[in-house]
Amino acid sequence: MTEKEKPPVFKSWEGWYVLLMLFLFAQIIWFLYLSNHFS
Amino acid sequence: MSTIDWIVLIGSLLFIVIYGVWKTRGSKDLEGYLKGNNDAKWWSIGISIMATQASAITFLSTPGQAYTDGMGFIQMYFGLPLAMIILSVTFIPIFYKLKVYTAYEFLETRFDLKTRSLAAILFLVQRGLAAGITIYAPAIILSTLLHWNLTLTNVFIGLLVIIYTVSGGTKAVTQTQKQQMLVMMGGMILAGVMVLQMLPADLSFTDTLHVAGKMGKLNPVSFDFDLENKYNIWTGMIAAVFLFMSYFGTDQSQVQRYLTGKSLTQSRLGLIMNGLLKIPMQFIILFIGVLVFVFYQFNEAPLFFNKTGTEKVLQSSNAGEYKELEKTYHLVFEKKKDAVSSMVAAEKVGEAELVRLHQKRIKELQVEESALREEAKTLIVKTDPRIETNDKDYIFMNFVMDYMPIGMIGLLFSVMFCAAMSSTASELNALATTTTIDLYKRSIQPQKDEKHYLKSSKMFTLMWGILAILFATSMSLFENLIQAVNILGSLFYGTILGIFLVAFYVKKVGARAVFIAAIVSEIFVLIVHFLNVYELAPGLLKMGYLWYNLLGCILVLLFSILIQKLVQNHK
Repeated sequence: MTEKEKPPVFKSWEGWYVLLMLFLFAQIIWFLYLSNHFS
Repeated sequence: MSTIDWIVLIGSLLFIVIYGVWKTRGSKDLEGYLKGNNDAKWWSIGISIMATQASAITFLSTPGQAYTDGMGFIQMYFGLPLAMIILSVTFIPIFYKLKVYTAYEFLETRFDLKTRSLAAILFLVQRGLAAGITIYAPAIILSTLLHWNLTLTNVFIGLLVIIYTVSGGTKAVTQTQKQQMLVMMGGMILAGVMVLQMLPADLSFTDTLHVAGKMGKLNPVSFDFDLENKYNIWTGMIAAVFLFMSYFGTDQSQVQRYLTGKSLTQSRLGLIMNGLLKIPMQFIILFIGVLVFVFYQFNEAPLFFNKTGTEKVLQSSNAGEYKELEKTYHLVFEKKKDAVSSMVAAEKVGEAELVRLHQKRIKELQVEESALREEAKTLIVKTDPRIETNDKDYIFMNFVMDYMPIGMIGLLFSVMFCAAMSSTASELNALATTTTIDLYKRSIQPQKDEKHYLKSSKMFTLMWGILAILFATSMSLFENLIQAVNILGSLFYGTILGIFLVAFYVKKVGARAVFIAAIVSEIFVLIVHFLNVYELAPGLLKMGYLWYNLLGCILVLLFSILIQKLVQNHK
């Protein structure tokens, strides 16, 4: 419950959330590349 | 299957069960049994969340899904990371602050007992039936492949789970899910590597991708907006967010996983781990299906993937006609194989026009092949109407049994059983917790001691386990039930999520308004569903069932605000 143990990389949670969304968009872009390049 | 395969299969399953029981022996208090003493680390929570969601059907059906329709299914998971963020920001801090055992306990703090009980009962009905499906759906496929009796397969899966879930509770579920996840992902990745090695030696990895892409199997993103189509980016980014928020935020079988966390931080990190790894995991499973598809462009695939169906038709008076179909199918395959090889050769030298010509020829042959498969299915139904003609779920395991080496077959069957067990265990654990905490301890026997509730939790786990096996065995009698139960989640999830969202965000809405709004919304969703199913309002309303999650949720929000206003004006 305590917020003492913060995640090691980011000081706030926003960092993790941004990373997660960036990773999602990177994956979608890669999927679009797969669809278009090999079809 | 060979003796080595049996040793791998039975050995791995027994090891997991015995290890789970031994490692978590002697649970002495209720908190330890239901919340695992709150000592789980983030990676353990993440694994547990992923293992709970990955049922046997995920591993059996997904490669077959990619084989037939390509990779579009992955879009369903695009909403998952966003749902993880919303839950980390809103739901989990409140659950932690209130130190709840179940998600529904929070509803009593915010509203009243009847709203809590309504949500708990909706969960018990829906998840109780779904637990039966989690056992039955893989049992029907695995029993066919292993030539086991269906009822015995149901009992086998159910009993293995009951042993460690009753004995060790939440801790046993989390503990065993680590080994199960290792078997599942290890087995699948090994299988993927092996399929790659089985492809023709002169076919490079890029060539493999070109074959798959040009034959319409590498299509993970579709921007076509269609309410009826489950797999497009809009359904994935909008409707699925609501589905995943309901599933991970209000379904006790998931909530219980992250409530075992050492701290709020650990639980949040567990959910973020799920958000990061879920899409890559589904991609790997779908990609294995695509690799199997490419493999079958160079090795002849069976006309029908469920061998029991083929055996039956070959023993019947339709055998002659079926053999003729197989002959024509073989000729089409040979032509297609040549066309695919020529297309790969043309791609290598960069002859774009020639590639397009071959691609067109291959498409024509694929249409011929599909027509032959349809004819074969018609013959099979003519022979025995009870045989399921949708053979998608048999594609992957059929491939495994025909082409994988000794040891791998046992390992991949173990993958399927582990997946069935990991989801069922979380479900039984959550059903027992909700029954004990939200109904038994709250409304039936509130004045007993800790020991009594610990014993009751164990009894309820056993009871739900037996019920799940009974549901599973009766499923074969009511085939239509399966489809119904599969969409049952989406029918109720929207409403339950709506109640929680009102609780979090619309502070002025009271207990009475939300309770009436929930009931009205649920009736509304059910009406929409029946209009859809029986096509009573064609052209007016056609909706894929994933959208029910959004509909139910929005209706509860709207109705509760409206009713609250009406009540206030009336006063």
